[in-house]
Amino acid sequence: MKAKTVLAALLAAAMVLGLSGPTMAKKIVVLSQFPMSGPVGSLPEFGWGYIDGMNWVNTEGGGVNGKKINWYLEDFRYNPTVEVANFNRYCSEFSRDEFLMATGYITGGLKPLIKKVNVEEKIPWLDGSYSTEIFGPEGGPSKYPYYYSLGATYGDQIKVLIKWIKENHKGKGRPRVGFVISPTAWGRDGPPEGIEYAKKIGVDVVAQIEYPYTATDATSQCMALRKAKAQYVIYHGFSGAGSYTAIFFKTAKKILKGVQLMGTHYTTGRFPILVCQDAFDGYIGVATRPFSDAVPRSQTPMDNPMVKLAHEFAKKYRPEEYKKELKGGGIKDMFLYMEGLTYALIIQEVLKRADKAGELTREGVKKALDNMVWDFKGMFGGKKFSYKSHTIPMLRIFKAKVKMVKVGGRMVPTGGVYPISDWINTDEIEW
Amino acid sequence: MVDFIQAVGSGVLVGLIYALLGLGIVVIFKASEAFNFAIGEFLVIGSFLFYVLFFDLRLPFLVALPLGLAASALVGALVERLTIKPLLGRSPMSMTIVTLGLGFLLRATVQLFFGSHTYSFFLDLPDITLELGSLIFLSDPIWAGMLSLATFGLVLLLLFRTRWGLAIRAVSESQARSMAYGIDARLILLVIWALSATCIAVAGIMISNFGALAAGSGIVGLRAIPVVLIGGMDSIGGALLGGLIVGVCESLVAAYIEPHGMVGFKEVAPYILLLLVLFIRPYGLFGTVRIERV
Repeated sequence: MKAKTVLAALLAAAMVLGLSGPTMAKKIVVLSQFPMSGPVGSLPEFGWGYIDGMNWVNTEGGGVNGKKINWYLEDFRYNPTVEVANFNRYCSEFSRDEFLMATGYITGGLKPLIKKVNVEEKIPWLDGSYSTEIFGPEGGPSKYPYYYSLGATYGDQIKVLIKWIKENHKGKGRPRVGFVISPTAWGRDGPPEGIEYAKKIGVDVVAQIEYPYTATDATSQCMALRKAKAQYVIYHGFSGAGSYTAIFFKTAKKILKGVQLMGTHYTTGRFPILVCQDAFDGYIGVATRPFSDAVPRSQTPMDNPMVKLAHEFAKKYRPEEYKKELKGGGIKDMFLYMEGLTYALIIQEVLKRADKAGELTREGVKKALDNMVWDFKGMFGGKKFSYKSHTIPMLRIFKAKVKMVKVGGRMVPTGGVYPISDWINTDEIEW
Repeated sequence: MVDFIQAVGSGVLVGLIYALLGLGIVVIFKASEAFNFAIGEFLVIGSFLFYVLFFDLRLPFLVALPLGLAASALVGALVERLTIKPLLGRSPMSMTIVTLGLGFLLRATVQLFFGSHTYSFFLDLPDITLELGSLIFLSDPIWAGMLSLATFGLVLLLLFRTRWGLAIRAVSESQARSMAYGIDARLILLVIWALSATCIAVAGIMISNFGALAAGSGIVGLRAIPVVLIGGMDSIGGALLGGLIVGVCESLVAAYIEPHGMVGFKEVAPYILLLLVLFIRPYGLFGTVRIERV
């Protein structure tokens, strides 16, 4: 009888504990979406960096002050409709109390979600978009209080380039700048602010040429720039990995001799070195991240702690892919892997801060982001940034050095893009 | 005037490549009345086969090029054997529809093996850039134009100066009658597909050399549609002229119309021209006028 009573009591206790379990330990749900496949190509590296980062956060990284993050990763295939649908699904699946923040990667996804994220759900949303329209003076925290960008806007990127031109122009007269942009929302985002700023500081914009992704030839565009006597050409709204970039740089090298080619974040990296080869040599561009992947990979400068960390992660968790590089499903560009890892680390940091403040809620996460002053694991040379403008306002100017060397009887490119400025905080510039 | 000469010259060079693409379509259409919609995928496969031989295996250009083209011909023949031959005797429309599905299959296969990222493509051919005052014709398009023209010429030689060419022309005229004369029409069809794949591969390699190569590069192959419709679906001379017309049209539009805020019009202009041509000559400039009695 006594044994039966004890058993019944144990069962009852187990049931009570079991049933009340979920309410005792609140779930922390985070959704991240990256364009890992689709028209931009096969980019699983975003996901790999994120997965490795999040697994590390939940195991060795200490979680959110000891609590684990229930993280979800979706490939939105560079399709805003998929991004929106995924977000809606998670909103209906998880309570507001659990689903604390979300991340996306493109402006196309941000626009249809403006009301849902900022008015209805009021959920902090980190994004890879550098849209001037959303994060620039016309948008920003007052208009989109729950949107946060992980980099300086295209408008600021172009203004920094114009400023560099003004300060470093050596020829006679005012510097003459031409723009080559893609006929897309991306290509048209940024140049108007840049042109206005150019006028203000005495730089002449002599050509604005749209160049489509479907191009098989860039002769007419380059001839137009030559005719306009452009001394500097800002190439914006293009992926550095696109065939069109190779066409443009190869053609420009022949037709635009002596002209300084420049560009924004997504043209300042590893891929253009591979596809444009020595036609990319001498290019000057801005980037919102440190350069993370030289050609060959073994020559990557490891003086930046975040770059070093990303390479260590990749070597540890993806040794095969790290070694394979471009071949057979390897990590093509460490920027992509580091970007995934970057998201994992900032999510952990902001959740930890919100938890520490005793506010592990959407509003608490927003407060933590708004008050955040962080060096991002030393990513910006030890400089700290604040999230008051809802962008990480850091960028740096790089110059490409590409040298062709003979390997196995064939010329192959080697090199990278190397800093020619310190990290610039665009929030601190008086434009 | 200088701008005009520049635009026309550049257009002619690109047009010669388009003509070769058109030829790839025409030889198949003449023999089977089917339109090969998988042309873009043939272009990409041919370029990648060359890529493997030249860039990965590091064979000399003069070895890699014929080997790559032979491999492309083999792919063309294999495709014919597996997908077209079983449809012989059926409506040409069935074959045309099969090529649509084939395009998806081939694209996915290329992505499976090569992924969808961009591959650098530098042939490093001797620099023969032509600079005359303000006029400049770059080395790569000149090489592309010359190689395309040479390939076009070789195909013409094959078709009009060899016994194989005679057999191909006979099959193109009438499969049934050629078989009655003892020609193995099935083998000839296989040869035609191989020949078409080779022409398309040459064009693909030249186009890739302008920029880079990716699984998605095949979209350029669709430029062959206005080329053959303008020139005439069953006319080899029409393919040459159609290619030149499309090339020059694109170049003139890029030089004179696009700078006035009509970016991308270059892609549309050949189709507008095509509509105009079809209004006047429904079978294209050199296409055979068919009179069907019902």
